Amino acid sequence: MRSHLRHAVLAGLLAVFSATPAAAALRVVTTTEDLASLAREVGGEKVEVVALAKGYQDPHFVEPKPSFILAVSRADLLIAVGRELEIGWLPTLISSARNAKIQPGAPGYLDASLNVKILEIPTVQLTRAMGDVHPQGNPHYWLDPGNGRRIAQGIRDRLTQLSPADRAFFAQHYDDFDKRLAAAEQRWDAAMAPFKGTKVVTYHRSWPNFMERFGLNVMGYVEPKPGIPPSPSHTLELIADMKAQGAKLIVVEPYFDKKTPNAVAAQVGGTVLELAPSVGGEKEAADYIRLFDFDVNLLVSTLKKVTGK
Amino acid sequence: MDPVILTFLAAPIAASLIIAGIHAYLGLHVVERGVIFVDLSLAQIASLGAAIAVWQGHDPHDPAIYWMSLLFTLIGAFIFAMIKGHNANVPQEAIIGISYAVASAAVILTMSKSTGESEHLKDMLVGNILSVQWSEVWLTGGIYVLIGVFHYVFRRRFIEISVDPVGAAARGVPIRLWDFLFYASFGLVVTRSVAIAGVLLVFCYLIVPSVGAMLWARKIGPRLAIGWAMGGLVSMLGMYVSVQFDLPTGAAIVCTFGFVLIVMALLRPILISRVR
Repeated sequence: MRSHLRHAVLAGLLAVFSATPAAAALRVVTTTEDLASLAREVGGEKVEVVALAKGYQDPHFVEPKPSFILAVSRADLLIAVGRELEIGWLPTLISSARNAKIQPGAPGYLDASLNVKILEIPTVQLTRAMGDVHPQGNPHYWLDPGNGRRIAQGIRDRLTQLSPADRAFFAQHYDDFDKRLAAAEQRWDAAMAPFKGTKVVTYHRSWPNFMERFGLNVMGYVEPKPGIPPSPSHTLELIADMKAQGAKLIVVEPYFDKKTPNAVAAQVGGTVLELAPSVGGEKEAADYIRLFDFDVNLLVSTLKKVTGK
Repeated sequence: MDPVILTFLAAPIAASLIIAGIHAYLGLHVVERGVIFVDLSLAQIASLGAAIAVWQGHDPHDPAIYWMSLLFTLIGAFIFAMIKGHNANVPQEAIIGISYAVASAAVILTMSKSTGESEHLKDMLVGNILSVQWSEVWLTGGIYVLIGVFHYVFRRRFIEISVDPVGAAARGVPIRLWDFLFYASFGLVVTRSVAIAGVLLVFCYLIVPSVGAMLWARKIGPRLAIGWAMGGLVSMLGMYVSVQFDLPTGAAIVCTFGFVLIVMALLRPILISRVR
């Protein structure tokens, strides 16, 4: 049995090395498709990127599969969203994969949140009464294009550290992405400008960065506390608040139940809108820039109807 | 299939074989007693204990959580031991079902008041066999060996009260005490297994091998042998399916259990006619 296992391991190692050409692409594994898209923008053909969680999955809860362990065990670089978003599944995956290169603290582990703008960092001592609050701030930070740029910078610097010979290549790819993103941002800002200050409700606290960036005002949440399903008293309060403040739009992530948002919308004469919180959450949202194209287009056409502007 | 994956599946495979070993045995008792859902009920009662400890302000990694869930398991074992035969008009399975429903709802209520670490409590019920670590495998194996030895030493007593409780009582065996010992040791096993493999998978490891064995054999010895063979075989086959088609491992093993049971049922007439 033991010698069988050893043969199997040897055969596997041979397969890995023989399949790798001389100028090997860096194997990058990301926890979400957003990070994968940014890594592809910066790394071009010098990287091979695999995303673990699909864009339509709630990144808080992901069921590990055998392929995840295999991908992480072979990765040269693991990029995580951080801020405890993946705390439920990534730490055991990393220890199961036993890859020294990508352990937290090693050069092959990149916490993408380290140089971005984080909102909602608690300033008081957290208590259990406050719900499933992330003590290190809101982890849905990639939904601000400014943060997308900062994540891409972090990836560029880390790829350069891992493969110094490709410094110019990564720099050029980053600059190209930066230019395209800046042009797209002008487009999005122009489209969203008429709706500055509009009050909206979201289901989970997934959208603070997005809403702040585009000047919308989040006045409430369908969840009474992060991670806690809607309760009757909170729902009634939310309906009263929305009526009082004239809020008509409820933004929902694809993986939450629409029953309560629909009931609230019916009460206040409003609209429920499902936006894609991640690349791959909708077919059209195939990469980082197209994610915002998709969300902004949908939001603008809905806001036109809701606000009459 | 990529053979490298085997080195990463070693811990899950070891865990599944350990679980298969003790559950195929306990399953014989459970099926014999007709208390099919007792494992779900005890697991839920244990997680209620954990939920209450978290609500009391204990950190999720605090040993207090484990002791509290153990205490609740023992209380559940005590209740199940006491109700048996007390009032013949109420089936024991009904009490077990009620305990399950009330304990589940109480967990939801407790969690709604102690929201901070609800993810950890969810983990207790939907453990994932793929992410099991070697330290857990060793600890669990050690506990199961102790419980297995305990059951082996008193095997006649345990089998007697499961197969023929009325006769045992007539012979002066303290049924309630032995029932309590059975449910308490059973609860210890189930609580740990569920934390590793999740409710669905543990239920299958407990019930399916003994049902499969009943199709093919009458005596306890052969039934145990068939149960162990089936549990081990299905674990391997399920892991293979999970790797080959990249499916979540626990669910792949559960469906493999169902498939193998159907095959065993189809083969039964051939086997039986040969014996005759």
